[in-house]
Amino acid sequence: MLFPLTSLVAEHRELGLVVAVALGFGFGFVLERAGFGRSTKLAAQFYFYDMTVFKVMFGAIVTTMVGLAVFSGLGLADLKAIQESGASETFVWPMLVGGLLLGAGFIVSGYCPGTSLVAASSGNIDGMVAFGGVMVGTLVFDWIFPWVHDFHMSGALGQVFLHDLLGIPQAVMAAGVTVMALSLFLGADKVEAMLARKPPAPADGETAVAPTVRDALRPRRLVFAILLGVAVLGLGTLALPATPPASPSRARVAWIAAPTLAQRLLDQPWQVRVLDLRDAKACEEQRVPGSECTPLATLDKLGLATAPADRELVLVAGDALKKAPAAARAFPGRVWLLQGGFPAWKAFALDKPPAAPDASDAKALNAWKFQVAVNSAVTGAKPAPPPAASGSPAGAAPKKKKKGGCS
Amino acid sequence: MQAATPETPFWNPYVAGFALGLVLLSTFLIMGNGLGASGAVHRIGVTGVAAVAPEHAARVPMMAELTDKGANPLDDWLVFEVLGALLGGLVASYSAGRLKLGVIRGPRISIASRLLLAVAGGVLMGVAARFARGCTSGQALSGGSLLSAGSWIFMMAVFGGGYAVAWFVRRQWR
Repeated sequence: MLFPLTSLVAEHRELGLVVAVALGFGFGFVLERAGFGRSTKLAAQFYFYDMTVFKVMFGAIVTTMVGLAVFSGLGLADLKAIQESGASETFVWPMLVGGLLLGAGFIVSGYCPGTSLVAASSGNIDGMVAFGGVMVGTLVFDWIFPWVHDFHMSGALGQVFLHDLLGIPQAVMAAGVTVMALSLFLGADKVEAMLARKPPAPADGETAVAPTVRDALRPRRLVFAILLGVAVLGLGTLALPATPPASPSRARVAWIAAPTLAQRLLDQPWQVRVLDLRDAKACEEQRVPGSECTPLATLDKLGLATAPADRELVLVAGDALKKAPAAARAFPGRVWLLQGGFPAWKAFALDKPPAAPDASDAKALNAWKFQVAVNSAVTGAKPAPPPAASGSPAGAAPKKKKKGGCS
Repeated sequence: MQAATPETPFWNPYVAGFALGLVLLSTFLIMGNGLGASGAVHRIGVTGVAAVAPEHAARVPMMAELTDKGANPLDDWLVFEVLGALLGGLVASYSAGRLKLGVIRGPRISIASRLLLAVAGGVLMGVAARFARGCTSGQALSGGSLLSAGSWIFMMAVFGGGYAVAWFVRRQWR
C-alpha cells in the first residue's frame, strides 16, 4: 500500500504543511475557474437556470470516488485507512439540521464557506463579509455549545458508509452513484436549456442548439466517457485477487493485549491516554503507569465526547468489562479495551516473570525478554540476566491513529 | 457587473468538476484527508479571540481545547490548505482578468442589503457547519466522495435548505 502517505502527518509534518498549501492552491484555483467566486453564479443553482454548482460538485465526487475505488482495487491505496481518517462519524440529526441551515445560509449569503474564501481572494467584498460571518458563526457555536451538546451528539451511528448500509461492495456502490450522477447531469442540462432566458435562434444551417449548450457538449462527452471508463475499471478490479487488509483490526473500539499496551507506553507514551475504571482505592494502590484513576461512575464527567482525538484511549477495568461504556464510545478517536483488564496487566508487568523459555524458540524468547524488561521498569526489580540470543522485543505496536474528521 | 477588460470565460462545469475531483483525489491519496474550509476558519477565529481576550478563550471549553497548554490553533494542516486556497483563488482570478474589488449582486438589491445578507448567511453557515462537523467542502464534497452516510444526509439537506429558502430571497439575485 503506497497511499495515503501517512508520514506527511507524522514525522514529515512540515513537508506535509507545504503540500497542504499546494493542494489548497489547486482547490482555490479550480473553484475560481468554475465560477464559484461569484455569488450570482452560485445562487443560480437554486433557481435552476445555472446548475454549475450541482455539476461541479457531483463531477468532483464521482471523480474522487471512482478514482479511490481504482487505486484501492489495484492495491495502491489503503481505502479503509483513508475512509477512517477522512470521513467523520455520522450523527443523523445535527447533520440533517446543519445541512438545512447551511443550505439556507448558502442562498442568503450567496456562498458556502469554501467559496466565500475564493470570492474574498478574488476581490469580492460580499465574499469577504460572508467569510467573516462564517468565522463568527463557528465561534457562536463555541459559545452556545453547552446548550446544544446533547443535540450535537444525537443520532450517532459511528462511521457508516452507504455501501455498508446497502450491504454491497464499495465498487458497485461507486459505479451506481456514477451512473446516477451522469443521468442527473443530463437532466440538469435539459432543465437549463428549458429555463434559458432567451430561446436560442437557430444557427445558420447547422443546429438549433444554443452556442453555450453546444460548446458544453464536447467537454461533457469527454468527461462522461472518462468517468464511465474509470468506473468500469473500478468494477473490473473486483475481479482481481483481494488484497489483505493493512492491519488486522480497524474497528474503532478494539481489544489490546497487555504486552502491546506496554510496548505502546514505552514507544509513544504521548499517543495514549490510559483510564483506569476500577474503584479509586484499587487504582491508587496499583495501576498502569501514567494512567488516570477514573472510576466507571465518573466517566461521563470527563467530557470524552468532545475531547481531542489525537490520543488514543485505553480503558483498564477489573476483568468484567465486556464492551466500552457509552461515555467512552462517544470519544471521537480510537478506543482500546485492555484484554483481561487489570489482572492481565498485573500478570504481565507486576508479577514475577516466568522462567526463560527454551532459547530455540526465538519468538517466545523475545516476548519473554520484553516482559522482563517491562517488569523491571515498572517494579524496579533487577532484571534477570538475559540469555544469549538477541532480537527486538515482540508485540508490534498497532498502526498509529491518524487525526480524523473534516470539520 | 461587466468587466472593462476581457475575462477568460469560466471552465466548462464538467471539466471543472473533473479537475476538482483530481485535486480532492490527490488530497485523499497524499494526506489521507479531504479538503475543508470551515474547520480552518474556526481555528483562525479562535486565534483572533485568544489574541484579543485570552482569558475568555481559556474559559470557553471549545476554544480552550484549541489553545490549551500553549497550543497554537493555527498549527493544523487545514489552515495551511485554506491559505493555499486563498492564494489559488487570487492567482486564478488575477490570471483570468477577474481580480477587482466589487460587490457581486443581482440587479434589484442595494449594496448595503447585499452585504448585510452575506454576513447573516455567513453566520448561519458557520453555526451550521459546526453542527454538521463540516461544511460543503469537508462534509458534502470530501465525505460524500468517501460515501459516508452522514455526508450524504448533509448534502441532500443543503440542497433542500437552499431550495426551501430560495424563493424568499429571490429579489437578491434576479
